[in-house]
Amino acid sequence: MRPLDWVVLVGSLTSIIVYGLYRSRGSNTVSQYLLAGRSMPWYAMALSIMATQASAVTFISTTGQSYVDGMRFVQFYFGLPLAMVVLCATAVPIFHRAKVYTAYEYLENRFDAKTRALASAIFLIQRGLAVGLTLYAPAIVLSVILGWHDTATTVIVGCTVVLYTVMGGIRAVTWTDVQQMLIIFFGLLVALCTIFVLLPDQVSPLDAMHLAGFAGRLNAVDLSFDWDNRYNLWSGLIGGMFLALSYFGCDQSQVQRYLTGRSIAQSRLSLLFTAMAKIPMQFFILFIGAMVFVFYLFEMPPMLFQQAELSRLQQPALQGQYQPILGRYRQAYQQRRQAAFALVEARHRHDPDLERQSVAAFRQSQRELDAAREQGSRLVDRVTGQNGFKDTNYIFLSFVTHYLPPGIVGLVIAVIFAAAMSSSSGEINSLATVTVVDIYRRHVKRSGSDRHYLWASRLATAFWGAYAVVFAGYGKNLGSLIEAVNLLGSLFYGSLLGVFVLAFFFRQVNGHGAFWGMLAGEAAIFAAFCFTGISFLWYNVIGCVVVVAAGLAISYACPSSAATPSTAG
Amino acid sequence: MRAERGEVPDEPPPFLGAWRRVYIAVAVYLVLLILAFYVFMRVFS
Repeated sequence: MRPLDWVVLVGSLTSIIVYGLYRSRGSNTVSQYLLAGRSMPWYAMALSIMATQASAVTFISTTGQSYVDGMRFVQFYFGLPLAMVVLCATAVPIFHRAKVYTAYEYLENRFDAKTRALASAIFLIQRGLAVGLTLYAPAIVLSVILGWHDTATTVIVGCTVVLYTVMGGIRAVTWTDVQQMLIIFFGLLVALCTIFVLLPDQVSPLDAMHLAGFAGRLNAVDLSFDWDNRYNLWSGLIGGMFLALSYFGCDQSQVQRYLTGRSIAQSRLSLLFTAMAKIPMQFFILFIGAMVFVFYLFEMPPMLFQQAELSRLQQPALQGQYQPILGRYRQAYQQRRQAAFALVEARHRHDPDLERQSVAAFRQSQRELDAAREQGSRLVDRVTGQNGFKDTNYIFLSFVTHYLPPGIVGLVIAVIFAAAMSSSSGEINSLATVTVVDIYRRHVKRSGSDRHYLWASRLATAFWGAYAVVFAGYGKNLGSLIEAVNLLGSLFYGSLLGVFVLAFFFRQVNGHGAFWGMLAGEAAIFAAFCFTGISFLWYNVIGCVVVVAAGLAISYACPSSAATPSTAG
Repeated sequence: MRAERGEVPDEPPPFLGAWRRVYIAVAVYLVLLILAFYVFMRVFS
């Protein structure tokens, strides 16, 4: 980090915080603090929804994942537009007309208090764990830049975010997100252009895309069907749709965003805009990761991108094991570099035979390089006594800090920080909302003043912030953070989605059926997680189907609780 | 809390006339997007 980077970084973050606090004026009632007085326009909600989803994890982890695994992760989002259409037709009008603060409040209107309490508890557990990961990601940024330990940086970032979140209500969070998304789009565009500029003169952007394609890094669509394959077209469309339905329909951190809309139409437009923009945006981020991969074809990447672990291997006591692996890695890199140049040359000559030979040599050298890197990772495992070392989350940051010019580094780091602050604050805000509205006001103190609940909301915000900081310490053991976040969500979302499907579409189901159906759904999901190799995207489908089936069966078997009419439509 | 149905009007979309048409447009957009990605992948691999 050079002085200009610090100026850009501090300037960007300060402007975001000042703007957010400026926009938070008037958030002095519970309705204003938690729902912005239901006054937000569609574009603010849409950008806020996207900003909340596009956390620091998105930039740090997604680009790294594309570097090592290609762009197939984009299929994960294919179900999103379908889910948004379903939600616009069902959940949005229902929640708006019910005039609820939380999605789970609606469940008591439809079923009973215990179903609302269980759904709230599931959300609090799931989102409480996920917010820790959201906080951990920017801590990686600081640890790479400043060389500090993850724990210290997590605490510092966490305390800053908590302070900011407690002071600003959802209005501040939303308008801050708008500003952040503009910075994010600008920063990403600048980062991609810079990568193209940094490529060798004889390698054009078109060549770069071919190289990425030959290395399997542009694998955006996989038509094969395999239950164990995490990302293919079908798991993306079906599993992704169920996950998106759960996330945007049942997760308070998202529902709360479109509940701030000034009308049903404004809320629908915000979701549909997100549906249209999210996939291209994710494609673009993954594409940046693929281009970072191409950049490192011509510039030797470190064998391990996590500097702390690399330094550990470089200790004198480990030289006997480390040096042979490093030698193999360097040799493989030189072979790959030559093969990449030969491939570009073959393409320029329009010689198909030479191109085929070059592709084969290029892929062979890539496999050798991957093997050497894997050997290095396993050495880290042996030295640290842990299993499954991965440095995916450090790849993009390592590139940014070593190769981007002054000013751009500060901008990209500001983007990551802004995204992290936005996501964390939104999640903590929604956790506090559910804690106060669904637990505290419903079960502890039912007749407090508005001011009392406003302060309760602020205290709950502080509590969840502290909780997130503590859990963030476990983030470093979870490999790719983006996958960890989505896996965690999938363990809980299916049953939440199931109970809302019961609420919206099955008027004959009663509170007992909904409550025990949710528990059955959770049991099925954890059984799938523990005893099968089924990809996590399918957990949402499994959980939802089991909740609906069990809810219907129990309601028929135990019709004691009177079923209430469905409010769908 | 009780649901207060009917107090929030369901306005038409600002374009295409009806929400159903907007939903169909989003679905068509998704199909075109997947096709574009597939072609992109095939061209560069």
